[in-house]
Amino acid sequence: MRRAAAWLLPAAVVAVPLWVRDSFFLNAMIHVFLFGAAAQAWNLLGGYAGQISFGHAAFFGIGAYATAWLLSHHGLSPWAGLWVGAALAACASLLVGYPTFRLRRHFFALATLALAEIVRISFLNWEVVGAATGLYLPLGYRNRFEFLMWDAKAPYYWTALTAFALATGVVWVVDRHRAGRYLRAVEQDEDAAEMLGIPTRRYKLYAMGLSAALTALCGGLYALYVLYIDPYNVMASRISLLVVVIALIGGRGTVWGPVLGAPFVVLLNEYTRAWLGGAGSGADFILFGLVVVLLSLYQPRGLVGLLAKPARPVPVAVAGAGAEAPEPPPTAPREEVVLEIRDVRKSFGGVQAVRGVNLSVRRGEILGLVGPNGAGKSTLFDCLTGFVRPDAGSARLRGRPLLGLAPHRVAWAGLGRTFQAIRVFPELSVWDNVLCGAEHRGESLWEATAGEAPRAVQDRATALLRFFGLWEARDRPAGELSYGQQKLLSLAMVVLREPEVVLLDEPAAGVNPVLVEEMGRHLRALNAAGLTFVVIEHNMEFVMRTCHRVAFMAEGQVVTAGRPEEVQRDPRVLELYYGR
Amino acid sequence: MELVWHAAVSGAVLGLVYALVSLGLSLIWGVMDVVNLAHAEYLMLAMYATYWLWALGKVDPLAAVPVVVPVFFGFGWLTYQLLVRRIVRAPVAAQIFATFGLLFVLRYAAFAAFGPNVYGVWRLGEGTVSVLGVPVATSKAAAGVVSLAAFLGLSAFLRFTKAGKALQAAAQSREVALSLGIPVDRMYALSWGIGIASVALAGALLIPFYQVSPTIGDAFLLVAFASVVLGGFGRVDGALVGGLCIGLLENLLGTLLSPTLKLLFVFAVFVLMLLVRPQGLLGEPGR
Repeated sequence: MRRAAAWLLPAAVVAVPLWVRDSFFLNAMIHVFLFGAAAQAWNLLGGYAGQISFGHAAFFGIGAYATAWLLSHHGLSPWAGLWVGAALAACASLLVGYPTFRLRRHFFALATLALAEIVRISFLNWEVVGAATGLYLPLGYRNRFEFLMWDAKAPYYWTALTAFALATGVVWVVDRHRAGRYLRAVEQDEDAAEMLGIPTRRYKLYAMGLSAALTALCGGLYALYVLYIDPYNVMASRISLLVVVIALIGGRGTVWGPVLGAPFVVLLNEYTRAWLGGAGSGADFILFGLVVVLLSLYQPRGLVGLLAKPARPVPVAVAGAGAEAPEPPPTAPREEVVLEIRDVRKSFGGVQAVRGVNLSVRRGEILGLVGPNGAGKSTLFDCLTGFVRPDAGSARLRGRPLLGLAPHRVAWAGLGRTFQAIRVFPELSVWDNVLCGAEHRGESLWEATAGEAPRAVQDRATALLRFFGLWEARDRPAGELSYGQQKLLSLAMVVLREPEVVLLDEPAAGVNPVLVEEMGRHLRALNAAGLTFVVIEHNMEFVMRTCHRVAFMAEGQVVTAGRPEEVQRDPRVLELYYGR
Repeated sequence: MELVWHAAVSGAVLGLVYALVSLGLSLIWGVMDVVNLAHAEYLMLAMYATYWLWALGKVDPLAAVPVVVPVFFGFGWLTYQLLVRRIVRAPVAAQIFATFGLLFVLRYAAFAAFGPNVYGVWRLGEGTVSVLGVPVATSKAAAGVVSLAAFLGLSAFLRFTKAGKALQAAAQSREVALSLGIPVDRMYALSWGIGIASVALAGALLIPFYQVSPTIGDAFLLVAFASVVLGGFGRVDGALVGGLCIGLLENLLGTLLSPTLKLLFVFAVFVLMLLVRPQGLLGEPGR
């Protein structure tokens, strides 16, 4: 029954112009498809990657102008012109995106708003493309397939539907594969994604370029349909806003959001205008505004979120140590130094947070890093992982320098890290969270878009989830797990790709004693399987039982390091830590 | 040279009004870290309100200020109570989309009520006053003077009154302010009241020489953002400096290069500023 419906509905949509002759309706549907496709393109950037753009009219307009200008001035077929427009829009978006992606939060949205106005004003004053007069498409090319222009509405209906299907197909492919997972991770916590080795800027640029190209295709087709373009009808902020509203009301960050949103928004818009005439103009937009406000408060996934059945609650087992630690690689001799930290320094203003730290981490050990609050432990981690640029010093992981690398490069070099506050991706499933921790070095965008993680990686993820007792919860959003389970999950994420050294920032803080015990056992088991850990921890009992060696830090320096009992008895430690 | 001087003086006067438009945006942004995309829609509504008071009630725009400003203070307060308080601690995306939806509601409510036509206050035989040797229309000069007075008043309020200090404390840290017994929620509502009242004042001052239509917010929103980012957000003096810079920039480049491209330069400076010095001219680095 459902299968039949899944085929019949699209077939019926394709067949509509065969039995419907109402040109008002067909015109409305062409708008549904073209703006739905543009909304789908926006969704890739604004929904999945979480980079909210209010400037997509610029890309729409670039596509429209490229297609129209090449056709009217050079007789170039839209079959080529559309792609030229898409390529130009993609290039423009990368030029814009490269610098502006440094901007977080509201600033990116504001920059896109301004950039779209800049493009619009430029075209308004650019004589080559007709300035304020605009461009007419040559009517002599109509009714020829190679020029994609017709007298009848039906062929436009099908080209627009093709564009809609293409955009939706692209988003569907991205959504189902690794790229979609990584984009959503970027949306939810960019720093955490970066620390897992996801090259976040590359993925954002990828989403932006693809989004701009698809939007430009829609603009080009729109120009071929309306036969006259100027900066008001293809570059106005109205188009940017319409596209955003469609995606928001349908449900951003979902494949079907724009598919539901487009008919809802565009048909309501077209028909209220027809029914109410000038008197009611704006009534539909008041409604859209109210819906957007309400959705932002109560249902961020829009209509899709409202229609989706609430997932069946899966009983989550309290983490009980499940299977054995997965596949132990051969252990190397304990004396080999794998991470060498030399004289690392960092000051913030006048405060010297880290003042000349020297530390050697040996292969296969669990090294505890203890010391009072403000000793510079987390800052040291930040320096090593590229979130803070140290003033001086060096750090080498198996001889390769680490300092100065971006966080994802640090991850690629073989350093893993968890954060003091839990940094899982709350809206991704537990399974997706773990797979975000896969090896990203050498993973091409094409691989990430076209396929799932390799079998071996999935097997290891399965083994790890079983090991941490999270397998039963694999389909649940990570945000639904308990605090302690989220800590276990973040550990599973960082060890999936088996980094040379894993830095853990307070793994036992804030969890109940049973789980502290369990965390210790997990760490020892993973260590026995060959992983090296550096653990910041205040729970001395945990440190004494888990670590092979302990380094004591105070006032930005390593005061002493050695076997746990020795360090605990060291008079300097007693004085600095316990105040005795 | 005289041309340039004329452009500079009228640019500075315009800049004072821009500063007043951006003041509320900056205050709300600074106090509660919410960017109000609907800010310029309140400007548009205040311009309509002042226009209709003039057209139907024969009330001079300046005389309408004591009515329009308190009403919009209440409007801002109400917006906070009904909508904004629910998104203060929501993710940034939810904040952006909530005020974006509000923009739609307000703009198209104006469309539905007043239609797409352009309205302006026409007064024959308006005189000019001499500002630094340049003749400026009385209404523009008055707008500049009132804007400056509003800035001085707000600065004094923030610096010298208990409520003003509490507002600043709430802006610095929600948690610390709460622990000190400052009613942070009421402070947020107050900042919305003041923010919307000040943009309404700008609307009342603008209408004698600037026509209103439902989509007028587009240009002003970007100009206001440009001023805020240029001066440094969350600072009263930043809004003033930013607004003046934008007014001067727009008028000087418009005169020297091309009037049709003047806003392009303003937006280009805005984007460059975002990239090079996002904390603004007066802001401290970091954050």
